[in-house]
Amino acid sequence: MKGGGIIKRLKFNYDLTAAYSEEINNHSFSVLCIPQDTQRQKIRELDISTDGGAVYQITNDSFLNKKLYGKINAPHKSFGVHISGIADAGIDIFEEYTDYPFGAILYKAQTELTRPGESLTRYHNSFSFKESDGVYDRVLKIMRDIPNVFEYSSGSTRIHETAEGAFTLGKGVCQDYAHIMLSLLRMEHIPARYVVGMMLGEGSSHAWVEALCKGYWYGFDPTNNKLVNDEYIRVSCGRDSSDCPVIKGSFYGGGVQKQSEFVSVEEINEKD
Amino acid sequence: MDSLIKNSETINRLLARYGVKFGIYKNGEFKEQLFPFDPIPRIIKKNEFSYLEKGLRQRVDALNCFLSDIYGKKQIVRDGIIPEEFIFSAKGFLAPCDGVSPPKNIYSHISGIDLVQSKNDSWYILEDNLRVPSGASYPMIARELQRRSAPDVFTDNSVADNRNYAELLSEVMDNVNTGGINVILSPGRYNAAFFEHSYLAEKTGAVLTTGKDIVCENDNLYYIDYNGKKQRVGAVYRRISDEYLDPMTFYEESVIGIPHIFEAYKKGNTAIINAPGNGVADDKGIYYFVPKMIKYYLGEDAVLMNAPTYLPYYEEDMKYVLSNFDNLVIKDVAEAGGYGVVFGSSLTADKKSEFLEMLKQQPRRFIAQEIIDFYDLDILDENNVKVPRKADLRAFVLTGKTTKVWASGLTRFSRNPDSFIVNSSQGGGFKDTWVLSQ
Repeated sequence: MKGGGIIKRLKFNYDLTAAYSEEINNHSFSVLCIPQDTQRQKIRELDISTDGGAVYQITNDSFLNKKLYGKINAPHKSFGVHISGIADAGIDIFEEYTDYPFGAILYKAQTELTRPGESLTRYHNSFSFKESDGVYDRVLKIMRDIPNVFEYSSGSTRIHETAEGAFTLGKGVCQDYAHIMLSLLRMEHIPARYVVGMMLGEGSSHAWVEALCKGYWYGFDPTNNKLVNDEYIRVSCGRDSSDCPVIKGSFYGGGVQKQSEFVSVEEINEKD
Repeated sequence: MDSLIKNSETINRLLARYGVKFGIYKNGEFKEQLFPFDPIPRIIKKNEFSYLEKGLRQRVDALNCFLSDIYGKKQIVRDGIIPEEFIFSAKGFLAPCDGVSPPKNIYSHISGIDLVQSKNDSWYILEDNLRVPSGASYPMIARELQRRSAPDVFTDNSVADNRNYAELLSEVMDNVNTGGINVILSPGRYNAAFFEHSYLAEKTGAVLTTGKDIVCENDNLYYIDYNGKKQRVGAVYRRISDEYLDPMTFYEESVIGIPHIFEAYKKGNTAIINAPGNGVADDKGIYYFVPKMIKYYLGEDAVLMNAPTYLPYYEEDMKYVLSNFDNLVIKDVAEAGGYGVVFGSSLTADKKSEFLEMLKQQPRRFIAQEIIDFYDLDILDENNVKVPRKADLRAFVLTGKTTKVWASGLTRFSRNPDSFIVNSSQGGGFKDTWVLSQ
């Protein structure tokens, strides 16, 4: 089941900046925005730069995401991380399941953000699956149905909105779509994880879902009602959005903090 | 013994002067109050203590095996001994700890195990505290003051010397120290147990610090003293909870933690005492499974019994709980410190049906236990008259090269004659605990 040659070569840029209205110091930071090689994608070039003289290190977190972290002691009013490079995407359509570090067990448990309440439980009960439906079929049916009951709308949900909260509201952003789908899949006892990444085009980072079907992780994008293909670059994963914070900071001083994110992904034609 | 009672007032006055206080939050307000000391000790005979010692060491060793398994291979879940719902959806399970081995693979260095004795003299385990159990300093200082006022009482009665707690604690820290000094990390003087933090630092020679004097550089921890001198830190006995430990790994808004301490810990450059993530093992839901854990990891039968416990999660147990509700005490697994405890018989009809509805909706959230008829201990009331009151015992079990039980403990009692809840956060008092050496 190879991707059959539908591989895209993608040039990507991920700019993350934080601006503070007053000077800050003793600033510790941690950032999750480095894509890495998987069975589905190969990072051919990667360039990392930081503003403000930040000294940093890179480590794996427990989800095996690449975490960039460090500290700036001197006073400063802005901070930025810029990741750019070239990736081949869509090499495979799935990623083989490995038992490390958690096994899939962890991804079967609902979290604070995905735990269903009354309305999601009712919605889940409305699905009728056939005896012959395999795991993949059920996942697909769930993704296909979500646009019927949930619509895209930016700015209507909070940053840490629960799946139940967003679903009751009936509208939200990609994070909410992903949480709702995770909640439903976990009610079906299907291990599923939250994924942050980049998608062909310009704008912000994107979020989708990976579900474990017969030993392979497949990507599903409920926001676009689409199977994850060669237009997607995966950056990090976790049980829900709280495991994949793009940026965390701790510092003295402050005032008002403003974070912004700009992502661009374009296809390039040069081949080896 | 009479000399102890005679001096009771002086001891309480001295405890107040030394700042032996307990802070409690009531209606969102922080209040400090004295932790009243009762002069009549709890007495544990030598053979009885040997029995407790055997059971407690076994229990803590099994709990350490469990933690190492859960953050490693998860074999006990794969083998179906504990359902996965009780582990991975528990608040205490911390994903960042997965796959991280603490120095010498010890997770719970200092365990506070709460026990009660029933009227028929049997001991039961009430709960395990493997995160940041507090309370050892109270019997330490009470004994210290009593020794000054009546030194003969302790030799005449062959009471085991309990002044070795600091030594045991130092051993525990030194055992896992990765090279550097030992520090006690306190959130500061507004913490409920600040007296204890400073007292233990003084007794063990560890440096008392708040996070502000500690920096993490290149995944190493350093303590910077008032002269600006930098010393490596090899072990952190932290008295702040996991969520606040590292804003870069856990709760981002924490201002009492040390940014990136978790990276230093992950790379084995410092020990954290107790290890982060222990909350998954002292959950009230997991409590039910501890005897099974002992069998599973050690191949032994549990020496000390749990209070008879039912898990509404299992259908059969749910049936039992529903038909015997009035005879049971129901506990919310996520709460601690005596909060979230409901006696079935105490509810009005309305409250009861409301509660049963919630129980049916969220069976995983509760455990139910038979009410143990406590063996009452005498205390002196305001008029110096002996009156019986409910009491429990917190035993301190320390794991260094081997696991040891401190020959003392914190005996807490309820001052209210009708209450079973003895937690200090609910305003109870404490007694000295004598372990007889003959």
